[in-house]
Order: sequence, then C-alpha cells, then structure tokens
Amino acid sequence: MNVFRQIAAGIRELIRRDKTESELSEELNSYVQSVADAKIQAGATPEEALRSARLKMGGMESVKDQVRAVGWESVLEIFVQDVRYGVRMLLKAPLFTAVALTTIAIGIGANTAIFSLVDAILLRPLPYPEPQHLIVVGTHQREESGMSPMGTADFLAWRDHQQSFEEVAIFDAAGRSFALSGMGTPERIPGVGVSANFFSVFGVAPLKGRGFQPGEDRPGAPGVVVISEQFWRDHLGSDPEVLSRTLTLDGKQHTIVGVMPAGFRFPSRRPVDVWAIRRLYPPDGRPPYGLTALGRLKPAVNIRQAEAELDGIAAQVTAQYPSSPDLFAVMMPMKEWMVSDLSTALLVLLGAIGLLLLIAVVNVANLLLARATVRQREVAMRMAMGASRKRIVCQLLTESTVLSLMGGFLGLLLAYVAVRAFLAFGPGDMPRLNEVSINSGVLLFTFVICVGSGVLFGLAPAIETSRPSLADPLKDANRSTSSASAHRTHRALLVFEVALALVLMIGSGLLIRSFVRLSSVSPGVRVDHVITAAISLPYKYEEPQIKQFWREFLEKVQLVPGVKATGITMSLPPDLLAITNPFTVEGQGYDRHHKLQLAEEMAVSPDYFRALGIPLIKGRFFSPSDKVEGEKDPMLVIINETMAKQYFGNKDPIGRRIQTGDPNPSAPWETVVGVVGNVKYSGLASGPGPTIYVPHNENGWVGWTRAMYLVVRSSGNAPDLVPAIRSQLANIDNTLPLAQVRTMDELLDESLVQQRFRTWLISGFAALALLLSAIGLYALISYSVSQRTREIGVRVALGAQRGNVLKVVLKEGLQLLAFGLLLGLVGAFAATRIIQSLLYSTSATDALSFLATSVTLIAVALLACYIPARRATKVNPMVALRYE
Amino acid sequence: MPDKNTALVQGTLDMLILKTLALEPMHAHGVQLRIEQISHGVFQVNAGSLFPAFKRLERAGWVDSEWRATENSRRAKYYVLTASGRKQLKSETRGWKTQSVAIARILEA
Repeated sequence: MNVFRQIAAGIRELIRRDKTESELSEELNSYVQSVADAKIQAGATPEEALRSARLKMGGMESVKDQVRAVGWESVLEIFVQDVRYGVRMLLKAPLFTAVALTTIAIGIGANTAIFSLVDAILLRPLPYPEPQHLIVVGTHQREESGMSPMGTADFLAWRDHQQSFEEVAIFDAAGRSFALSGMGTPERIPGVGVSANFFSVFGVAPLKGRGFQPGEDRPGAPGVVVISEQFWRDHLGSDPEVLSRTLTLDGKQHTIVGVMPAGFRFPSRRPVDVWAIRRLYPPDGRPPYGLTALGRLKPAVNIRQAEAELDGIAAQVTAQYPSSPDLFAVMMPMKEWMVSDLSTALLVLLGAIGLLLLIAVVNVANLLLARATVRQREVAMRMAMGASRKRIVCQLLTESTVLSLMGGFLGLLLAYVAVRAFLAFGPGDMPRLNEVSINSGVLLFTFVICVGSGVLFGLAPAIETSRPSLADPLKDANRSTSSASAHRTHRALLVFEVALALVLMIGSGLLIRSFVRLSSVSPGVRVDHVITAAISLPYKYEEPQIKQFWREFLEKVQLVPGVKATGITMSLPPDLLAITNPFTVEGQGYDRHHKLQLAEEMAVSPDYFRALGIPLIKGRFFSPSDKVEGEKDPMLVIINETMAKQYFGNKDPIGRRIQTGDPNPSAPWETVVGVVGNVKYSGLASGPGPTIYVPHNENGWVGWTRAMYLVVRSSGNAPDLVPAIRSQLANIDNTLPLAQVRTMDELLDESLVQQRFRTWLISGFAALALLLSAIGLYALISYSVSQRTREIGVRVALGAQRGNVLKVVLKEGLQLLAFGLLLGLVGAFAATRIIQSLLYSTSATDALSFLATSVTLIAVALLACYIPARRATKVNPMVALRYE
Repeated sequence: MPDKNTALVQGTLDMLILKTLALEPMHAHGVQLRIEQISHGVFQVNAGSLFPAFKRLERAGWVDSEWRATENSRRAKYYVLTASGRKQLKSETRGWKTQSVAIARILEA
C-alpha cells in the first residue's frame, strides 16, 4: 500500500470531516433501506422489515466507529478528543489541578534548570572548530597525579621537536592581572599571557581586528594586546575605532590589535579582559614551571602516542639538567581539563534533582489515585457503553500527560528564572557559564521528562480506575469506595516516596555536616580586624625601586591611625598560594627518581606574622634589623610547625640549615630562625604540609615581590582604613591600583562559595522532598480516615476509646513510615558513596547524619499522620453511621 | 462486533469483495447478498466488517465509489473495481490458489 496515498487520504478526510460523516450516514441508511426492501419483497410488513434490518446491522454508531478506525487519522482525532476531554476534567477539579501543577512545575522546573547547567558545562562540545582535537598539556613527577604546569625548557624543546600536533601554544598557568592606568582611577584587570599563536590554535576569528601574529612574541617587539568583548563594551564604550587605541598596562603602552567575541572565554574559570603576549626566553635552568600548553592534535594521532612523544622529549631535557626531577607528560582533552573537577558535583546535583522529580511524580500519582475513586463511576459508565479498557487507559494517560505538559510549561518558566538567578548570584568561578542557556536540547529534555512523568504518574491510577470491578460501581450511587488494590498501590508508592526523601535528606545531611566541619577549620590566623589587598608593581620598577617602594609604603601605612600591624606577603590564606618550591634539609639525601618534597614558600615582611596573628612557637620572627639584602649576607627562613615536626623530629630546628630550589649541593644554605603555627594556604580542605617563609627583601627574592598582598590589622573596623591606605599608595605612585580589597572574613567566605552553594542547593531539594512526602502521608491518612469514618463510628459506638481509635489509624501511617525508612536507609548506604569525593572529613556513612535526618523525617511524618488521625478520634458515631 | 458464523481468514474478505465487484459495480447490500448466495450461506458478512473493508479498499485505491440510483430507484453508493484493484485481485487469487493447494496437500498427506 502506498504510504503517501494513505497520508493524503487521511488529511483529505480530516479536512472534509463533515462531508465524509454525512456520506457514511447516508450510505448506512441506504443499506438499511435496501435490506428492508428485500424483506418487504419476501413478504414482511414495512415496520417489521425495517426493525429486522436494523437488528441485522447491529449498532449504527458502532459500525461507524469501525469504519472510522480504518484510517490513521482516527488515532489523531481520538487523541485530540482525549486532550480536550482531559483539559475539561482538569478544569472541573481546580484544587486538585492546582496542587498537581505546582508539584510538577517545581519538579520539572528544577530538573530543567540543573540540566541546562549540565548540558552547557558537561555535555555540549566546546564552541571551537573541531574541539575534540584540542588538548591541554602539562607535566608531572613520578608518583604524582594530576597535571602541573610545564617549564619553559620543556616547552621549547617540545615545541621544536614534536610531530603529533599541528600547532602548540602556551598560556600562563596562574593567569595574570594587569594594572590599568591612564583611564581614570587605576585598577587591576584580569588577563593572561599567551604565545603569539594562541588564537590560531583555537581557530576562533576575532570580532574585530586580528589575533597575534608570528613574531609578536619576539624580544623587543612592540606591545600588543587582544581584549575581550566585555572589556571593549564596559571600558571603551564599544568604540568602533578601538583598533587604533592603546592601553597602559603595568605602566607600558600596548596597542589593541583585536577584540575577541563574547563567546570566547579562555582560560575559563574567571573572566579574562586582556590577552597579552607571554615572551619565552631560553631559560637558565629547568624551573620555573609556569606554563600550561595546549595544542591541536593531528587527526591521525591519538593522545597516548602524543604523550609518549613528550615523555621522550622530557627525558632528553632531564638529561640536560641532571639535578632536576624526572618529568612525564600529562595530556587531557580540553573539555575534560576545564570541567573534570566539577563533573561529580554537577552529576550529583542532577541525580538529586532526579530523585526530587520522582518524589513529585509519586505525589501526583497518589493524588490521581485518590481521584480515581471519584472517577470510577464515570469510567464504569463509559465501559458499560462499550469503551474498551485499552481505550480508557489511553484516555487517562493522555489526561495525565496533558497535566504534566501544562506543569512542564510552568516549570520551564520557573527554570528560566532560576537559571537567570543562578548566573547572577551563583558561584561565578565555574567554566563555560557564558554558554548556559535554555536551548533546543534542553527543551527536548524537558519535553521528554514531561511525557515520561505524565505516563509514570498516570499509569498506576489509570490501571486502577479501569480495573473491571465485581461490585458494579454504578450501583453505588452515593458511596465512593476505593478498591483494596488501589489502596495497596497508593501505600506502596508512599513507601517509595518516603524512601526517596530519606535518601535525599541523608545526602544533604552529609553535605551539611561536611560543610560545617570545613567552615570551622581554622585557617591558622586570627581572622578578625584584618583587611587585605593586592598591589603589584609595573616593570619600570627595577629591584632597588621595589625594595625602596615596599620600605616606604610599609612605613607610611604603619603610621595610619588605627593600624596595629602591617605586613606584605606573596600568598594569603586560605587558598591564595603563589608558589611551591622543592627543599632539602641538611644531611638529607636526594633521589631524583622520587617525587620532590615541596614546601609552600613565600616572601613576607617582618610584621606579616603579627598582622595576621600567626603564633610564634620557637625562635623569633624576622626583624627589620636583619641584614639580608647583600649577596654575602646569611639567608634566613622561618618554618611552620608541620615542617619542624616532619623534618627535624624531636631536635630543635632553630639554627639548622636547609636548601631550597631544585637539589643542588652548591646551593646556598638558609638558616632556620623561627617556627610558627600552621597556616592554610592551599584551601581549608588541604592537609598540613611544610611552609617556608623568607624575608621579602632578601637577596634573590626581591624580583618575586613585585606582586604582593598587603595585610593590615586594625584596632577598629578594618575596612575603614581603606581610604587612608589608598591615599598613602597614591602619594608614592598614583598609577598603582589597590586591588582585591577584602577582609580576611570575606576571603574565607569566598573560598567556600562552591561548597556552600551545592550544600544549600541539595538541602533545598531535601527540604522540598521532606515537604512533599509529608504532604503525601497527610493526604493518604486523611483519605484513609475519610474512607473509614463509618468503621470508626461503629467502633466508637461499641465503646472504643479515643486512644484505641488513634492507634488504629496511626498504625497504618507508622507501617508505611517503617518500610520507607528501611528502604531509604538501604538506598542511602548505596547512594551516598557517590558523594564521598565531595565530603570533607566526613564518611559517606556518617552515623550522625543518618540518624539526625531519619529522626527529622520520622518527626515530620508523625506530625503529618497525627493531624488527620486526631480528626478520626473526633468522629461522632451518630453522624458517622448516618453517613451512608 | 465479532464475526460469529464466519471464520474468514484475515484478508480473505477483501479478496471476496474484489472478486464480487469484478463482475459489475455494486452497492454494499448487493455485495453482501452476492457473497452469501455464492457461498451458499457459508459466509455471512455483517455490516461491521463490510463497511470498514470498503473503506480499506478505497484507501488502497483498489475500488472507487459513486452514488447511483438502485433498481428500486433509491440512492446508493456503488463500488467500482479500479485497474489497480483488478491487478490486486489477480495476484491475490494466484496467491490464494497456491496456498490452498499447498494446504490441501498437507491435509491429505
């Protein structure tokens, strides 16, 4: 049979429906007439003939239905009919519809919102041509996992010899910021240094102008920068002549050669306003390691082959610098590199929200089941008129799908608002946030879960409602009965719901406990009354000027009224660590085939410790009178408690000596003068490790002190000092911005943004889950009480005490609760393992979290059961018996 | 409305209708009578099967229909076999014969 003919005929028929219908009636009538005519000829009277002709045909409508069912278009028509009928039925029960719609809208809206994040961050390919070939490259030492930045020596050797990539480029692993002056108040803008071919590796065309050209990274080439679309808009008023303008960055003129489109954001953790040239000079040694490399893999090469090639090149570099450690290649697809640390948290969120949707679905299914009783008469009537069970189930499913699609539409609006709110107020340091949107893929997802949940919550009620019953419901004119099986389904669903809610609650309980633990971790400093800020000196400051600047600036700030102590440092707690450095303790051997022992190392001014309230444990702090600036002067260090314990054991470390940097027997010795308390520099969750402090003005360190954090302890409200500090800074050099001004409290807060956000989100989900299951329990017990009013009346009439009645009714709820708890605990044991990696010093089976959430659930559930049960005890036997 | 007295093999009714119409255009009652008469009352085709079958055949393009006056000068819908209907009838008849011969052989073996 020809499909096109069928489709065309169906459409024709849909269009001329009336004509077809009247023709069919006419044909059937003429058929009856014709049969009757034959009977009359055989001798029957006209009345008899007509009657027997009609009998012979059977039901006229039924024949018509069978004829209509031949065409495919009838399915469509039935569907439209069902939808219209469904909408009518929903409008007839506005309270039920409102409750169901709200529940679905919340469930589907939250799912859509979270999915749009997962889609943008984890699922969609990167918005660059052939993104699967973009690889991020770094190195690591033996016994080390993860990716560390590459050294210049390694990168240059690799760049010149590698065959696996079409092109390789680098950017500053740590990012960079630039002092922007000459445009009003000086400020720091975020940026990154890149090699000249950086943009051509991505293959993204600039919005205006061009990317960098080969040769622009040669020493002595004029300064050029590419700016972001946002910077162009916010700082330059979208000036169409932008390409002829210059920016003063770190005191040097840079010509703007290009503007990147808004969609280009790389590195992607934080905004980048300017991309500047990072020049590469052939290095003196293997360190420093500060580059992240990236490249476009040749199509025929796989990532393992490319790694093997770099391993070989790195081995040659090791041979060139025999005192440096063995290094190995680490390569990751760019997307994985960007999002891998977020994927667990995001997938857990998606899982949690999926559970919430299931709970919502169960609640709506229970609402529908309760309504099923009401509708049983209507359904029985339709079945008596000849509707098949399949037809009824289809109709009821259409109805529930209509409900879920309406709820889904509301949910979509909700999701839109939620995503906007997330982008505005959520943690900003996530990759690819600029790509988050509710696009066609997300809409498809929403549609699928809408239809899926519609069928899911409609199925059990539909089957129940259409169950052929022995006692004809049509006869029960004024009493609504719920079949025992419907009640069973209802209760089974509730057990499931309680279990799901418990799983979510335990998950959130674990996260909360972990978060509380994490936020009560001491950073090792006195947090109150401290203000911090970043200052960085441009390249026109040579080493003598740098020393001069800090001396003068610290003196001036110290004199500001209200300042108790002031210091500068390269790194700040809780997570603003600048560098780590290998070290060797005197007398300790060294094996370069093992991982180097690394310490957090930072240059600080003498009063830094007092300003932050870091306790002195042994020895002394640095002193302004220490002679450390000359080449011959002794080198001094202060170490932290962990380092003293780990590397000096019971011996007194004061006066002992260490070397820092790559192992080198002829490196200068540095003498330990003090031991101070541990401070967290690598995040609150990090374990204790060795830390080394050196005087900021020590020979060899001054070049590192261009970019420092200022730390000021105030006797009053710390932020009040900022204007005075700012004016002292301007007195010395009015092109220098005082950037990233934060109190210590704020720094601690910011370091926990992600954890706080996901903890709150999942706790919100869990609270909703608890609420929904409480509503579910409440509805079930209320319903069950209303069903048993008569029975209770009889019991009371026969002398049952109030307490007995309460017990009978509560028993049902308690049984459900017990089963739900059991199932939920089992589920939680299995499920919480997934979030172990998100927990800080909290076991995934933490007993307190399990207990506390179970008790909360029990308490709320008991309340939800008790309220309707109490109503049962108030039943007046006379009224109840007359209830019939 | 199940066919009680006629266990017609699925699809056979369509073939019988085509065959009946091959003689001359007929209306529904005519077709019904003709099938009953020729089969000596073995096949009783009821309206619930007959009318859907006509619609099916029309959809497939094997029959056409037109309104005409009957011998009793009433209006009735007459079904006419089309060219492709004729072809279909031929191939179905051939298929049927092959099948029935095969079935007969099996039953008699």
